[in-house]
Amino acid sequence: MGLYIARRLLQAAALVFVLSILIFGLVNLAPGGPLAGYGQARHISPEKAQILKRQLGLDQPLPTQYLVWLAGNDWMKVDLDGDGVLESTGSRRGILRGDFGFSFTTRQPVLSEIGQRLPNTLYLMSITLLVAVCIAIPAGIISAVKQYSLVDIVITTFSFAGQAIPEFWLGLVLIIIFYAWLKNPFTGDPLLPAGGIASLDAPFSVGDRIAHLILPVVTGAMGWTAWYSRFLRSSMLDVIKQDYLRTARAKGLGERMVMFKHAFRNALIPLVTLFALDLPYIFGGAVFVEMLFSWPGMGRLYYQAALQRDYPVLMAVLMIGAAFMIVSNLLADILYASLDPRIRLDR
Amino acid sequence: MHKSTKLFFFLWGLLALLAAASLVGCTASPTTAAGPTGEASPAATAASSDKITIVIPEDPQSFNAAIADQGYDSMVMKMTMLGLASVDPQGQIYPQLAAELPSVENGGVVIDEATQVMTVTWKLRQDVTWADGTPLTADDVLFTYEAIADPATGLYINGLDYVEAVTKIDTYSFAVRFNAIYPSYQTLFGGDQVVIWPKHFCSAADGFTAWACNRQPLSSGPYILQEWIAGDHLTFTRNPKYYQPGKPAIETIIVRIVPEASVRKTMLVQGDADVLMWATEQVADELKNETAVKLSVSPTSRFVLRLFMNLAAKGATDPVESPNPVFADVRVRQAVRQAIDVDTISKEIFYGFSSPVWTEFFRQPYVCDIPRPKYDPEAAKALLEAAGWKDLNGDGIRECDTCTSAAQGEPMKVELLTYSEYGEPLDLTQQLIGEMLKKIGIDAALSSVPGSQMWADYASGGLEQRGDFSLDLYDDGYAGTDPLPFIQNYYASSAAEPDNGWNVGRWSSPEFDSLLEEAASLDETQRQETFCKMAQILDAELPQILLFSTINAEAYSARLTNVEANINDVVTWNVADWTFVK
Repeated sequence: MGLYIARRLLQAAALVFVLSILIFGLVNLAPGGPLAGYGQARHISPEKAQILKRQLGLDQPLPTQYLVWLAGNDWMKVDLDGDGVLESTGSRRGILRGDFGFSFTTRQPVLSEIGQRLPNTLYLMSITLLVAVCIAIPAGIISAVKQYSLVDIVITTFSFAGQAIPEFWLGLVLIIIFYAWLKNPFTGDPLLPAGGIASLDAPFSVGDRIAHLILPVVTGAMGWTAWYSRFLRSSMLDVIKQDYLRTARAKGLGERMVMFKHAFRNALIPLVTLFALDLPYIFGGAVFVEMLFSWPGMGRLYYQAALQRDYPVLMAVLMIGAAFMIVSNLLADILYASLDPRIRLDR
Repeated sequence: MHKSTKLFFFLWGLLALLAAASLVGCTASPTTAAGPTGEASPAATAASSDKITIVIPEDPQSFNAAIADQGYDSMVMKMTMLGLASVDPQGQIYPQLAAELPSVENGGVVIDEATQVMTVTWKLRQDVTWADGTPLTADDVLFTYEAIADPATGLYINGLDYVEAVTKIDTYSFAVRFNAIYPSYQTLFGGDQVVIWPKHFCSAADGFTAWACNRQPLSSGPYILQEWIAGDHLTFTRNPKYYQPGKPAIETIIVRIVPEASVRKTMLVQGDADVLMWATEQVADELKNETAVKLSVSPTSRFVLRLFMNLAAKGATDPVESPNPVFADVRVRQAVRQAIDVDTISKEIFYGFSSPVWTEFFRQPYVCDIPRPKYDPEAAKALLEAAGWKDLNGDGIRECDTCTSAAQGEPMKVELLTYSEYGEPLDLTQQLIGEMLKKIGIDAALSSVPGSQMWADYASGGLEQRGDFSLDLYDDGYAGTDPLPFIQNYYASSAAEPDNGWNVGRWSSPEFDSLLEEAASLDETQRQETFCKMAQILDAELPQILLFSTINAEAYSARLTNVEANINDVVTWNVADWTFVK
């Protein structure tokens, strides 16, 4: 197993390198340029554009820009004042040394931008996924065990609805109902806040945090719940038809025992894998939910960066997201192997 | 089997731990930008009656609007920083840090008639201090100028290339020497983009665009930044050292970042927001009947929706060598203008909040009397016939028949392009204009691209810079009182060179170029005349077709007074005067 993981990590390093070229190329070759976002009046003056390009390093040819992004420019001379003489030493260290550069729009280090948003996204997404899994597992089991019963039909209906309803629409409707229409009978305030992580002028309280979580979590968890419960249902149904369940029943085990000890655990294996593959979303966040509920998370950071062509932020989020994805894949494989003794990885 | 249970619970446990950790982390992680004075934030204790909330869709990029000018930066800058002078909604320039506005009359401006250069002497107010108590002096102005003009770390601001030198006279006065007559001298270090920065606080080594005070400024204005949590909110409190006695009246202002437009509107209606910056036509219409909400709508906006016609062929930049088959002929441009029913678009799509505009010189201080063109599709058709565009095969689309720049039989096809960020009103306008053009026999294919693609520079493949368009539709305008830089940028023949301006229709007129030079004057009567001559040329030649101005409105809670929309500035231009209704 150790050897297998080592080999996979080595492959991953090579993959990340290839990805870095792809991401840099795609982001930079996409039509449009980052400077257009520098003006409320629709475009900026040529003089200003020239200075900005130089300051942002956009005056260099693309291969040089890639090299600087990857390995920094503190080992070479650059022309800062635009007189054509390379007089100053660069200050970038490159992503290989953990320097993702600075945001074109805020001029802040990209990692600090991500650092401000990441905790908020981890917080929201982990709770969203937790809620989704907690609802999906019982729902999936019941749905499978009582196949074609009324309960199954109800759960199935909700699952399909959950997958079909767009998050954006659901969130808006929830805001209208719980923020604009329904009032707290004691205070007369809206029943739930319209967005944000916490009330600004109130001291920290768990109740306030939960009140701010309800709508975004419900909106975000809807799709996940539907997806996981459908998946678990079909996985359960597969297992239920297996011979070893008949054997278990023949041994005289109670139905409850058969279902939980023998069926459920086996049905769970593919779900755990699926879940591991979904882990990168905890990093990436959900754009729609964050937009609707004014949640200062990664999804919005990425969306803004994409709109404003903030290349360094865009590339950093993509690179770190890709790394998460690779690690999650590895994790999924390892989990699968350890859960299912029939699978051997190190062969 | 046993192993799987363990792993499963391990995963769950991990998740729960993660959730708990981030819950705790969230309360601790946001770094508080301590006020420059070091005072603790009174925000938590302020009564809600002494606190208002402004809602905007995205974070300001910084407090230095000279860098990006995306509006939100200007909004927070105006709350904290002061320039020498600024512009009110009527287009009048008023002094801020300046004791008075220098002019030829009061001896503040001296013109050397022989060399046609000028020197402007400014006197600063002597009662302004930074929030830490340090007086604001001419040294700060010199520091700001040097930071902007630094070739490595500075930036370009309008008029910078006309400044020869800035020299200190005494603690509270300084002189700006220009290398030409520069009419906008009063707002060079002011207006909606430029403010004076503190010499003792900002790091000259980091430079104008990168220094830390762009995000943690030291106030000279009415409010002090206490806290900025990216993507969530900024908290401001009253600056006790603000120079105007008794102002500002409101203790705390919170700027909340709320990306979704309908949520911003609902928050205003529910009383959770007090000022909604830049209300769109739709929002203004929806808020019309809300009693708890008021609207301040500018009589006219600075943003004019306009059509840009490429006089060169699509993909070319030389209108002489490769003229545009359709738009090279001025009669076609006139026909297009006559075919568009501006009033219908304004009423149906912009909720009647827009006003028709047909000349660049439509607002104070320079208004020219150009007769409004008539909506007359029949006249438009006649013009196209005369220009040699006839429907030869009876399909409703005209073909070239002895027209000037297209091949015989070539159909009259154009691509009507707009940018996607504006949203539905612009998309609908584009559709309507497409239909109107079709009615006179021009086939307009509709398409839309992000602004970053439309206005990128030549190297990045900007569609306009490369001339890779035939007919563009978008809104633009200028803040302040001097139209000259804006007009230059759009109509000077030098601005037709790629990456040298935005005359992307590649129209040029030597007569117009010389008028541009004439307009660089401080003689207001002569300026007015020159601008109106320009207006006549533009009206006859139609390098652009101006349609109507879009809305400029601020929506605010009825418990506030003195909130006023300003086409020359942002909503917080007079934030120190805002008060609660008694």
